[in-house]
Amino acid sequence: MAKLKIEDLKKIKERVQGETALRAGAKRVKVTVHMGTCGIAAGAREVMDTLMSEIEEAGVTDVVVTTSGCMGLCSREPEITVEIIEQNPILYEFMNSNKMRQVFKRHILEGEVQTPFVLAKVTE
Amino acid sequence: MDLEYNELLEEFTPEQIKELDGIIERHKGQPGGLIPVLERAQELLGFLPVPVQKRVGRELGIPASHVYGVVTFYSFFTMHPRGKHTVRVCLGTACYVRGGKKIAEKVEKIFGIKEGETTPDRMFTYETVRCLGACGLGPVVVVDEDIHGRVKPDKLKEILQQYN
Amino acid sequence: MKVFRSHILICGGTGCHATGSAKVKQALAIELDRQGLADEIKIVETGCNGFCAMGPIMVVYPDGIIYMMIQPEDVPELVEEHLLKGRPLARLLYKEPSTEETIPAMNDIPFFALQELRVLRNKGLIDPEVIDEYIARDGYAGAAKALTEMTSEEIIKEVLDSGLRGRGGAGFPTGLKWKFASQSQNDVKYVLCNADEGDPGAFMDRSVLEADPHAVLEGMVIAAKAIGAHQGYIYCRAEYPLALRRLDVAIKQATEYGLLGKNILDTGFDFDLEVYQGAGAFVCGEETALMTSIEGNRGMPRPRPPFPAVSGLWQKPSVLNNVETLASVGQIIAKGSAWFSNVGNETSKGTKVFALTGDVNNVGLVEVPMGTSLGTIVYDIGGGIPNGKKFKAAQLGGPSGGMIPIQHLNAPVDYENVAKLGAIMGSGGLIVMNEDMCPVDMARFFMDFCQDESCGKCAPCREGTKRMLEILTNICEGRGKEGDIELLEEMAAVIKDSALCGLGQTAPNPVLSTLRYFRAEYEAHIRDKHCTAGVCSALFKSPCQNACPIGMDVPQYMALVRARRFDDAYRVMMKTNPLPAICGRVCDHQCQFKCRRNTLDEALAIKFVKRFITDNATRPVINPVPVDRNEKIAVVGAGPAGLTAAKDLALRGYQVTVFEELPEPGGMTRYGIPSYRLPRNILAGEIDDIRALGVEIKCNTRVGKDVSFKDVEKKYDYIYLAPGAHKSQRMKVEGEDVAGVFGGVEFLRDFNLNEDAWLKGTKTLGAKVAVIGGGNSAIDAARCAVRLGSDVTILYRRTREDMPAAEEEIIAAEHEGIKIEYFVAPKVIVAEKGTVTGITCERMKAGAFDNSGRKRPVVIEGSEFTLGVDAVVAAIGQTPDLSFVPEKSDVTVNRWECFDLAEGSKSRTTSEKFYAGGDAVTGPWTVVGAIGAGHQAAEDIDSAIRVKNGELPWEAPVDEIDIPFEIDEESEEQPQAAMPELDAAQRKTNFDEVELGYDIETAIKEASRCLRCDAEV
Repeated sequence: MAKLKIEDLKKIKERVQGETALRAGAKRVKVTVHMGTCGIAAGAREVMDTLMSEIEEAGVTDVVVTTSGCMGLCSREPEITVEIIEQNPILYEFMNSNKMRQVFKRHILEGEVQTPFVLAKVTE
Repeated sequence: MDLEYNELLEEFTPEQIKELDGIIERHKGQPGGLIPVLERAQELLGFLPVPVQKRVGRELGIPASHVYGVVTFYSFFTMHPRGKHTVRVCLGTACYVRGGKKIAEKVEKIFGIKEGETTPDRMFTYETVRCLGACGLGPVVVVDEDIHGRVKPDKLKEILQQYN
Repeated sequence: MKVFRSHILICGGTGCHATGSAKVKQALAIELDRQGLADEIKIVETGCNGFCAMGPIMVVYPDGIIYMMIQPEDVPELVEEHLLKGRPLARLLYKEPSTEETIPAMNDIPFFALQELRVLRNKGLIDPEVIDEYIARDGYAGAAKALTEMTSEEIIKEVLDSGLRGRGGAGFPTGLKWKFASQSQNDVKYVLCNADEGDPGAFMDRSVLEADPHAVLEGMVIAAKAIGAHQGYIYCRAEYPLALRRLDVAIKQATEYGLLGKNILDTGFDFDLEVYQGAGAFVCGEETALMTSIEGNRGMPRPRPPFPAVSGLWQKPSVLNNVETLASVGQIIAKGSAWFSNVGNETSKGTKVFALTGDVNNVGLVEVPMGTSLGTIVYDIGGGIPNGKKFKAAQLGGPSGGMIPIQHLNAPVDYENVAKLGAIMGSGGLIVMNEDMCPVDMARFFMDFCQDESCGKCAPCREGTKRMLEILTNICEGRGKEGDIELLEEMAAVIKDSALCGLGQTAPNPVLSTLRYFRAEYEAHIRDKHCTAGVCSALFKSPCQNACPIGMDVPQYMALVRARRFDDAYRVMMKTNPLPAICGRVCDHQCQFKCRRNTLDEALAIKFVKRFITDNATRPVINPVPVDRNEKIAVVGAGPAGLTAAKDLALRGYQVTVFEELPEPGGMTRYGIPSYRLPRNILAGEIDDIRALGVEIKCNTRVGKDVSFKDVEKKYDYIYLAPGAHKSQRMKVEGEDVAGVFGGVEFLRDFNLNEDAWLKGTKTLGAKVAVIGGGNSAIDAARCAVRLGSDVTILYRRTREDMPAAEEEIIAAEHEGIKIEYFVAPKVIVAEKGTVTGITCERMKAGAFDNSGRKRPVVIEGSEFTLGVDAVVAAIGQTPDLSFVPEKSDVTVNRWECFDLAEGSKSRTTSEKFYAGGDAVTGPWTVVGAIGAGHQAAEDIDSAIRVKNGELPWEAPVDEIDIPFEIDEESEEQPQAAMPELDAAQRKTNFDEVELGYDIETAIKEASRCLRCDAEV
């Protein structure tokens, strides 16, 4: 391994911080993939995989992904909820890989709600 | 020389003695090398009887009396063979206030030996120690590498039966 | 870059390793794989998380949810529920001991939330074996700054300005130490790290080394630059294998990165580092001894001067710092001295890490700003004392330190304040001890430690600690004698003055500190051969008997019950207790709190078995004892104290007359304790047995009214004053004199005197009643009021844990529908036309600690509210009514309205003729306490008479009862047998006895649970 110079410390820091960022503090976006038995049966795993690879590809560190159980709307699975800080959460229905990619790029990264897929806008 | 070697052979194999010489060789000439040598040697041989001390001293160019002084000073070193298993009862303060003393008494009763001794069948060596830093689990009994936490005197037999 | 949606940080510290974290980690990896989550979720093994008692621990990010005491079997459910479905698994979450509330997020748990993490900022957050993770959290930024931007002088100035003081214990300013070493001229200098953490109960350094080893390495690099050293050693004890391994890994990685070795960070600065493994000698924590040890010798200290800064390791200038000190340095340089000193107080800056252990709920590692109060650490962070026990003291500074007792819970923990209280800050071991701690035994323990670890080089330490240990051992084993305490003090002073190194100089500290706060317990050991805490086993047969104020031989009557010899069991009890049937029902059973069975499952139900015996054994026939003594004795008050003294004196052949103001004897047991707890016929039966001995009880006769004090004084040779405490304390609130406001004992007495009127309803409290107070009298009053048909609310100004009432009584009250409001205190009694209609109260909150170790309630401003009530019963405490004693009497009364006792006596008043005891001396106490006082008085009066007459002491007739010895080889876990009770709905309408008593088989089974601690095998 090469010996470090001062500027290398900064580089390591930036690189590893991306990997460990989710251990600290609040994030800009939280995506919940509903992973009840119904959700998984309808393809929630595939949606999750897509989401994870999108995040990886885009190299963003301010999106956190969590899971939840069944919401009670089993007929509309797979469902995901996108919560952007200081905005109302958006619940998407009948997700699949393509729709997930679209929601990620347009909504999560660019802030534009993908109305055709929206099941509900959750208000407090 | 031969006499000493024969003494060593009573307890150890020629391979072990060779390995001991290797350890000594690696630390030769290093200032303060005695204690690391003794630590490695004990790891290898299990204990440090006088013949081992003599050999270490001669090879490092240190008087045997000095080696003996160091071996007897540090509680980590032992001059007697040990049991197959080591039972250590922690008598650090945290364990003590949580009943470590009663555990120690019970162990003595079960084995019929005192602290620092080995059972006649060489199965168990019983020691007390000062704080293993596992104070969160007190009272603690360590058998070999296994830490048993929150030990109750009446559960000791059960624990010890796992080792044979 | 591989992105995971979740990181699982599983603690790999020593504590969690011991409880099986490696197996949990393995199970987790298998399960994640099985569920196809291995690419989404990353497992990271961290160093010590600090919450060691709850291990194995893991934290799931991003939510920061913490799981505890995880077993491999839990893993599939955990993965399925939380990691797949996003539902935290409730049964493995943290539960706050005081509130039973489940807290999922780590940072919401008080143990973590109240800490200020600086030295420990990376604990549980990074993988200590991955240097990149340390760098990502600004690691080595301080070293980089020191090496590239700062001169040696600037570094030293920054550290001096920060106010950092040595965290190893002595508190010497770190910057100053560095300055001295930097000024020494020599080509070769050394930087040493003291990781020989030997104080029992301290594991701060181990945790730092395990969780964040690079922080120590970084501090050493900076120190090396500051003093101009190029070689360093870390002296780490062999007992820490994991720390040693992590250090090796860290040094290897740092060397590969060029953060150690030649030309660090391309700055031209060289620094090599080696780990030196200690071989188990406490004295090597002393700096000169540590250096001698590295040199390959017996680790004995050297006289100073020369100081190590001038001539240290191999006679070269050396700096030795403790792990925590060095771990602070990197951040001080990176963030500046002002950042460091922005917490702490005047003389002690920054934070301090404590290893919180012993009798405390949350055992673990805590980091708090210097100056945080001891109470905050023990109660708010530590979660208080487990098993309902009471805090007694905290030991700071290990064997070199001292104790801080309960009355100083508000003390700020910093170098100066701790020293003022007789302890030392030490390296951070903070051992909490509860009421079961014996200070003499603790002092002996620490002296044993120091004696054992003394290296033997200087005589004061070698011989002095041995002699002091001998004396302490003698005291603990019942061979203590007058003068021992003074001798200990004298030797302590000499050793402190003359020992060569810190070990010897501080060895007497625990003795001096325990003597300062617990001298009375030393004296009890020496004079009475009594160990109050029940630890020094040479002084008693069994801990239950030792705890009993009248020394009842519990194991004996348990053995007899087990053998179905109930009559003999009764005889054993009668030897020490004239009122066993009463005690079997209302005793506060101190014995049960000390029962050794507590360590296995649950205390033996001693009280219930005692009651069983009195319910089922044949009562022995009592014959009158002939009066063969000339002296006549009067007893004032027919409560337990008076009756006991009367019985004992009658048995010795004296003529005894008891004067009782009320219509029937019994005192508080008759007029205070309600009949649903103590049926009247049971009470009357035991009193009749005392009468049958020949004791005359004159009821309806108040001394000072129906018969004059002077007449009694003239007519009797000795008088025992035991009038009890029958006057309620006033609330001192506006309006408390209106109709409808009762004192607690006054209400109970009135009810018991006029039961018919109350039951018929000619006397009544009304529909709604507020009872003020939290003691047994308050509960008694409330439960009586419920039985009279009232709707009852108890108002108590503190918390439930603070209530002095017996736990079982509080539970019974709740079952009967009594509401208890905590943190409420009365302010004004509201009245209309002279009769109470309501009570205005204020809400309280917990303030600073008081002398009893409870948090003092303070008013919440503007929290007033009014309860509509028809009656108020104020049961906040009682005082004796000693108005019958003439003002000009020799018998003096103190400011607590209790009798003064003559110096050195346990029962004689300030007058030779008068003795006193029970609540009238102690203030409101217990039945068994009063019985004890009665025994004491009888013995003292009798022996005073015999001494005066030149007679030999009285010898009690021998009643030999052979005690069977049957004992279970292995004890099986089995909780206490439950007491059958009337159910709450049934009992609320009458005064029938609530507890129904054990049947024979239950009693025998319960008695068989006795571990026979009295036995010598």
